Amino acid sequence: MPIVQADPKRVESGIHFTLGNYALVEGAITAGCDFFGGYPITPANEISEMMSKRLPQVGGKFMQGEDELCSIYACAGAALAGAKAMTATASAGFNYMQEGLGYCYTVEAPVVIANVQRCRGENYASQADVMQMRWGASGDYEAIVVCPASVQELYDYTIWAFNLAQEYRNPVIIMSETTIALMRERLDIPPAAQISLTNRRYTTLSPEEYMPFAAAPYGCPDAAPLGKGYHTIYSLNPHNEAGGIDWDPQEFDRLYRRITGKIRENSDQICRTERIMLDDAEYALVAYGSETRPAVEAAQMLREDGIKAGVLKLCNVWPVPERQIREAAREVRKLFAVEMNIGKYAGEIERVASGICGVSRITKNLGLIHTPTEIYQAVKEDLK
Amino acid sequence: MMKDPQRITLCGMGGQGIILSAVILGTAAVTRGKKYAVQTQSYGSEARGGQCQAELIIDSKPINSPVAQQKDLLLAMFQEAYEKYIDTLAPDGILVYDPDLVTSLIDHPCAHSFAVPATQIAVDLGNRMAANMVMLGFLSEALGMVSHEALVETVRENVSSRFVDLNLKAVAAGAAYAKEHSLTLS
Repeated sequence: MPIVQADPKRVESGIHFTLGNYALVEGAITAGCDFFGGYPITPANEISEMMSKRLPQVGGKFMQGEDELCSIYACAGAALAGAKAMTATASAGFNYMQEGLGYCYTVEAPVVIANVQRCRGENYASQADVMQMRWGASGDYEAIVVCPASVQELYDYTIWAFNLAQEYRNPVIIMSETTIALMRERLDIPPAAQISLTNRRYTTLSPEEYMPFAAAPYGCPDAAPLGKGYHTIYSLNPHNEAGGIDWDPQEFDRLYRRITGKIRENSDQICRTERIMLDDAEYALVAYGSETRPAVEAAQMLREDGIKAGVLKLCNVWPVPERQIREAAREVRKLFAVEMNIGKYAGEIERVASGICGVSRITKNLGLIHTPTEIYQAVKEDLK
Repeated sequence: MMKDPQRITLCGMGGQGIILSAVILGTAAVTRGKKYAVQTQSYGSEARGGQCQAELIIDSKPINSPVAQQKDLLLAMFQEAYEKYIDTLAPDGILVYDPDLVTSLIDHPCAHSFAVPATQIAVDLGNRMAANMVMLGFLSEALGMVSHEALVETVRENVSSRFVDLNLKAVAAGAAYAKEHSLTLS
């Protein structure tokens, strides 16, 4: 894939104290976002608000959709037309986007979706949509979901999300949360020269030779420039390599093996984790998003008590960083799955660690992030 | 001089500029002081009924948990908000309050307690809305939370140009109040 440097005109280099939602917007602008379509919903509104200001400054287009469905389909169209497109919503609004999201997976439209999770119908913190972000749309596909834990990571991971979307021609979801979206924090934006961006690869073939959905078995097809004679049907229906609607079961099987395989077989290139105090640890807290923060403090508190604890931070939850979770499971006596919901992703951790080590759940579904003490006490209680 | 980490709650009524105050302190600490800061606020039905609170943590190193269970400073500008948050103040913490709006103190241990009639000082300057800036001037002078220069520059950059003069006068008046009454930690 073509790798380019970020455009200095789009990068607000320096030290800022800013809102998480605004940091996400700056990450998108840095990444080259030039289309945003969205429908208002708290706690994602500051993303739309700032996009409507920033995109016209860099020659992009902002569109307020009549609803969520309109917004995601507008993004799909923009992405297929060559734009780096993005939408933002929050839990209840994300429900409405599933049909359009399914379309994006099938036609391989590289749309970035920010889902700022909320709960109790209000701006309360939650990670309860972690499964919906993987399984919300119908049909076969693989999701890529990145999980920032801070205002800084809302900037950094948004750039990462755009790069992944371009590289794999797959929708990428930024799993945000009320906790970080409405938090102000330090944001260090480096010089543009230090930021690498991935652009999609365009075909070198003529319109007559071009096959819009032909690719290596686990690859993604080259894109075609719009308006240059590369007539393509982007259909939700099963389609063959030439782009024709095709109901043949073998064609269908080949299409979906590739669409899922391009993510599964590249899982090691996609997945990122951070190991914190883990090298000598006997117990590992596995967390993602904002929950990694109290988890790190809880591990420090446990160490003060002589319990060697560490944290495996999952920078993305989908695809599941199986290799890294399995490695951690082999190194410790027990894993603790920490999350802000009734206990969902814990099932994935249990699946990966099955037969290697035990997994205990530390979950909370009150609309509030765990405190370090809560996690610390839960571990102590479990080890009694 | 307050030591890092500085864990702070600012509370009062909606409209007093409580959140703006926290944003200005955080901005001054990060962009001028090159420190780290995390600022959150109450949202949703919990914050309704006129009360408003902002939490701020300032530290010289990156901050993990964004929520501190015990606070080193409580700034209270409204009786009910004071009553709601006083329990979170650490026994060695500092209370700063406006004695015209927090009139009935609860017996809660703290290391220092400063009464600053910020609203009256702002009224004397011609606009009660500047009471929050009086408080910021006081916090800078008496507690050294951020430097005076950093505060002035940050206020200049973050408030509407129409109100810069008023706000800077209010910051100066808050600092002068601390000096005149020898209110300081040392």
